[in-house]
Formats: sequence, structure tokens, C-alpha cells
Amino acid sequence: MADLSADLGFIRLKNPVMTASGTFGYGEEFLPFFDLDRLGALVLKGIFKNRREGNEPPRIWETPAGLLNSIGLPGPGAAELQEIIRRLSKLTRAPIIVNVCGESDEEFAEVADIFDAMAEVAFLELNISCPNVQRGGRCPAQDEMHSFRLVKKVKALARKPLMVKLSPNVRDIAAIARSVEEAGADAISLVNTFLGMAVDLEKRRPVFANVMAGLSGPAIKPLALRLVWQAAQAVSIPVVGGGGIWTGRDALEFILAGAAAVQVGTLNLVEPAGALRVISEMEAEMKRLGVASVSGLRGKLFA
Amino acid sequence: MRDETGWIEEIRALGGDFFLLKTRAPEISQTACPGQFVMIQVSPTVVPLLRRPLGILRVKPPLLWLFFQVVGQGSAVLAGRRPGDALQILGPLGKGFPDFRDKNVLLMAGGRGIVPLFFAAEKLRECNRVFLAYGGRQVSVLHMLDEIAELKLQNVFLYTEDGSCGKRGLVSDETESLIAENSIDTLCACGPDAMLRTLASRLRPLPIAAYFSFEALMACGFGICHSCSLKGADGKYLKMCSDGPVFRLEDVAWPI
Repeated sequence: MADLSADLGFIRLKNPVMTASGTFGYGEEFLPFFDLDRLGALVLKGIFKNRREGNEPPRIWETPAGLLNSIGLPGPGAAELQEIIRRLSKLTRAPIIVNVCGESDEEFAEVADIFDAMAEVAFLELNISCPNVQRGGRCPAQDEMHSFRLVKKVKALARKPLMVKLSPNVRDIAAIARSVEEAGADAISLVNTFLGMAVDLEKRRPVFANVMAGLSGPAIKPLALRLVWQAAQAVSIPVVGGGGIWTGRDALEFILAGAAAVQVGTLNLVEPAGALRVISEMEAEMKRLGVASVSGLRGKLFA
Repeated sequence: MRDETGWIEEIRALGGDFFLLKTRAPEISQTACPGQFVMIQVSPTVVPLLRRPLGILRVKPPLLWLFFQVVGQGSAVLAGRRPGDALQILGPLGKGFPDFRDKNVLLMAGGRGIVPLFFAAEKLRECNRVFLAYGGRQVSVLHMLDEIAELKLQNVFLYTEDGSCGKRGLVSDETESLIAENSIDTLCACGPDAMLRTLASRLRPLPIAAYFSFEALMACGFGICHSCSLKGADGKYLKMCSDGPVFRLEDVAWPI
């Protein structure tokens, strides 16, 4: 049987498939569909210190093989999420990853600190790349200096490993990845959504109140694959890749491009047990290709 | 709630872009309640990417009837599917109408809003006195009329805007008198937003329990994506898919 385990250095996952933040709720919602233990890891929906309502509707727009969203990270706030995690940890042994958000560097640090103190949490993902929080689609991950400062600040207080989620909406992904690595990140994950836009021809207005929104789904896979490949070339910390993964083959392509593990996102919304299908398809494809282990395939692209 | 591989038994064009979809879905049909819905994967490919929410019209396990109008790409693809095709169905989803007993219930349906109310009528008539008010632009958009007659409800009131069937006017025109004359204490409504807005403003002064079923764009249908938000009376967003799609009148921030 193929060895599906994925080595992130600071943790070994039983398989490389994580759920991408914002597409898997807080885990509990998927209990009717499958045993969460079968996942490599669970990344929970992004969390701020306080409760947030999210953006004005409409919040989604379908595109060919893609989904534009301007959800705006609604959530219950850190205190309630702590309760949810305590419950969730009794329901699964899969590593729980908290996606840490903030409207300011101080809030990022404060939220990171709260979850850093929880034994139930395996590690943190720092969400410096959501395009729907600040106006104009801006985020810290678009600025090397800001990313560096923010990661440094959170690393100074957090004892748990820190994975930093990067934005695809940048000029030079390698430079951002390197600055985050230099600041002490233990891993990077990418991509967050691509900035896009939808227009209502009848009303002659943008569909979304924020005008710009984030594109995900199979439509972005080639773009994400390119960015993951570039980032993996630039850093020596593990890269967790994703963007439109729909099949086991998609996942293996990201591994070949240099990813140590993958994130499955939009698929979870459309096919609740899709992440499990991806895992079993990866296993079948590896067998067909005569590949013994995920780590043996990582970055082994003839290029 | 489960993601069941069902089958299309029959897909029937009813005219005016409306289709009746008879499916075999043993698990979902067993547990579905009036007001709940399913998410249908209209195509096994990634175009269109999202499933489509469809209200449940009727169940008779293992059969599940759905009803839809072609309004865009997704429903057009679904209309092209054939009997014998496998169909991925996620459901039953959401919170439907409460299970009333010994009530005088008025069901008010506008257009395809008949879907959850037909199912409700079939179920509620066992333990309640059920009245139905059903309206649409013209007679061609009023469906299931024979099946409605077979339910033998207390009374059925039909309305069309052009007068081609029943009374000329909107389904909500006679709300106050229907309530008064039939001692209505409970109202369930489903229809276009404009109808629900009008109805909400007319019902507010009346001492009756009112439940509204809403329709929305949805990506997941089970509470994950937060795309089907509806502003609640307390200013917080409700999720139509998992907090609803049926809400009490006073739980929603009007006008929607």
C-alpha cells in the first residue's frame, strides 16, 4: 500500500489532505458525512477576536468552473470558537488547525495567543491574505515588509508552529514567500482566492458591494499550481498547496510541483465528502503510477 | 442529512419553463419534512460548479418529487437530464414548517412558492383545517391544480393577475378577509420577495403565527459557506439554508 503520510517537519500527517479554511466550517458540520479522523488535518474557518457578521449580500457568484465570494469572514469570535474546538477535539483525532485573522497586527497577535494556549490545537495558520476584509481587496500578504513584521510579531509569542497563508494577488510570490520564511514561518500555504469581479449587466452595477471578490474552484487550478511551484522553489520550509483541487490527480500535481501537503477547499461546499474521495483517488493513482510514497513524489518534477 | 445517489424516474415539462422531477431517493424521502429542501448536482462535470437548491414537493418513500423552473444555466442543464440518469442529492436540508395540530392554517403560495406548501398541505391536513391561497401571473403558471383538488382541503382560493383563473389580482389581496372569515390562526407563505414583503406588512398588526419560506442563492446548502444570508430582526445575519429556509415573520428584518 502506498505511504500517504505527509511530513511538514514539525508534524507528520497521516495523509496530505487538509481542508482549506472557510470551506469546512468548524468541522462538526461534516460529521453526518464522514469520519473526520480520515483527514490529514482540519483547518477551521478563519477567526477574529470578536463576532463578525460578514459582508452585505449578495456574497457569491458562480463562474465557469469557479466561485466568486465576498463573504467577509463572519464568525462567532475567539471565545466561542474555543468552546467549539473543545467539543471537536473529543470527536476527532485529526490535527486541528486554527486560521487566525485580524483587522490589525495587534488583533492577529491577540487571536494567535488565544489559540496558541489550547492543547487541542495542533498548529496555527495565519490568514494574512483574505481579500474580503479590507476595502479594495488589499491584505497584508501583498506587502513583503508588512508580511515580515506581522509574522515576526506572531512568532515572537506563539509556541506552536505557524503556517502562513499567502495571497495569489502579488507581483512576486517568491519574494513574499522568502520574507515570511525569514520572519520565522514554519510553513506556508497557498493560494487564497484570486481577486475577481462580477458585473450585473441589467442593473449596470457590480454584483458585490465590495466590487471585488475572491475566485476559487477548478477555474484557478493552473494559476495556483504555477504559484505553488514558484513558492516551493523559493523557500526551504514546507509548502502546502491548493487551489481548485477536485481529484486525486489534481492533488498529486501539486505535490509534484513541490507541495508537502494540499488543501481542498471549494470542493467541500459542493461535495461534502469530496476530501475523502480525493484521498482515495490519490492512493489509487499512486498505485497506478508505481509511486511508493507522497514524500517520494514531492517536488520531483522534471523541469 | 446525507449525500445520496438517487435516480431520475421521470422528468416532465409542465409548460411555462416548469418541470416536475420524480426521483428515487430512499433515504432522503424517508426523513424529509415540509419546507425542507435538497441540493441537486445538476451535472457531473464542474460546469455548472454549484449544486442547485430545490424545494421538496412531495415524498412517498422511496420516491421524492421536486419541481423547478428554468431560470438560468443550472436549471436548464437539469431540464435536459433523462430518466435513468443518476442524480446526486444532498438532503433533507434546513428547518421546515413546524408540525402544527388543531390549527386553522392558511397556506399562501405565489408562483413556484407552491412547492413547499403543497408538501405542507398534504401533511398538515391530517391534524389541522387547511386553506390554500395560490396565485400567479396567469393560469399557465399555476401548477398541480388536479393534485391540489385531490387533497380535499377546507378551501382553495385561486388568483391570477390577468384574471385567467380564479379571482383577478394578487394572492395577498384578500389576506385580512381570508383570515377573519376562516378564523385563521397560523399562516405559512412562500413566493417571490415582493409578495412576501407585501404580506409581511399586512400581517404585522394581526395576532397570528406566520411562517415564511425564503429562496436564495446558495453554494453549499448546509451552513458552511455563509452565502445565503438574510438579515435577522436583531441585526445579525441568519443562514437561510440551516437556520431556515422557514422563519417566523418576527425573526426577519423587514423589508427584505
